[in-house]
Amino acid sequence: MEIEEMKALWSEMSDQLEQQKKLTSEIIMSMTQERYTNKFRTLSNYERVGAVICFGIAIHIIVNFEKLDTWYLQACGVFTLSVLFILPILVLNSLKKIRNLNITNTNYKETLLNYSKAKRNLLRLQQFGIFLSFILMFAVSGVFAKIWSNKDFFRVERNIWANLSIVFAVFFVVFCSYWGYRSYNRITRSAENILKELE
Amino acid sequence: MQKEAEFIRIIKENEGVIFKITTMYTDNRDDQKDLYQDVVYQLWKSFGSFRAESKISTWMYRIALNTALTRLRKSKRIGNPVSIDKVILQQTENYDSEFEERLRLMYAHIKQLNVLEKGLMLLLLEGKKYEEIAEITGLSPSNVGTRISRIKQKLKQQIVNQ
Repeated sequence: MEIEEMKALWSEMSDQLEQQKKLTSEIIMSMTQERYTNKFRTLSNYERVGAVICFGIAIHIIVNFEKLDTWYLQACGVFTLSVLFILPILVLNSLKKIRNLNITNTNYKETLLNYSKAKRNLLRLQQFGIFLSFILMFAVSGVFAKIWSNKDFFRVERNIWANLSIVFAVFFVVFCSYWGYRSYNRITRSAENILKELE
Repeated sequence: MQKEAEFIRIIKENEGVIFKITTMYTDNRDDQKDLYQDVVYQLWKSFGSFRAESKISTWMYRIALNTALTRLRKSKRIGNPVSIDKVILQQTENYDSEFEERLRLMYAHIKQLNVLEKGLMLLLLEGKKYEEIAEITGLSPSNVGTRISRIKQKLKQQIVNQ
């Protein structure tokens, strides 16, 4: 379709839309109410619930920290606590930055730049989180095996089913990490292309 | 009350513009309605601070495009097929399915452009001059010209590849 044909079609569509006006004053003013559903707000709410769960688990680990009686279990505990406290705060902060982008006093280019930067940061953080989850899986297993069953996850003798379930869990996390990384990578690259084009 | 009446008048005058922008940036009816409401909300929010330094249409396009842009946040689906059931606002007695099909094809072409090009294309189709496009987008008029030539080439390429 040539550009001239598009222009003619667009103009015809605009004429039809002119004849089809259907907004009433009531509809317009009801759209201005804060009750509108913002999908990003929903996303923030999910992240907030996730953060509360992380903090809850972290507090549980702190309360039982004395049960971690070897240096490597204590290291696992410290690592798990760090991830559970720091990562949700960083993600919520990134989401807040995107939500609070000023779109009323900036032009299209500025908004695109600010948005692409904020999105790139959020995506990088989420990519980092995916990699951390792989290490976290082992650290958490060590910490909770000790806290809940008083067993050393790294030294205990396991039967074939226990070993198989660990292998299955590793494959599962590797698959999720790879899939998540690829998706985020694609979106991050597209955000970076826009930034390169504009800067 | 004066402010509200003025706002309602502006929205009623320009509802077609909002409709076209929201159709350009969404892939289905629900998202479009959602974005439409979001655009009106953002316009109302910034209406109080609008100073008549620029044209009301320039202000409106800027807010609407910025809102559409930041709504791409959850899923970026450039190149997906157009799945809006009816591109035009509502079926009339003179509903023309062939016209609707051509519109769908046009939107399919435009939606393959990147987000910046999409905004430029919309403003070009709206009949805006390069200077006004520059004012809305923040690009220089010469840059607008260069990018629009590139968009034309891209669209030609799309036709060749079909």
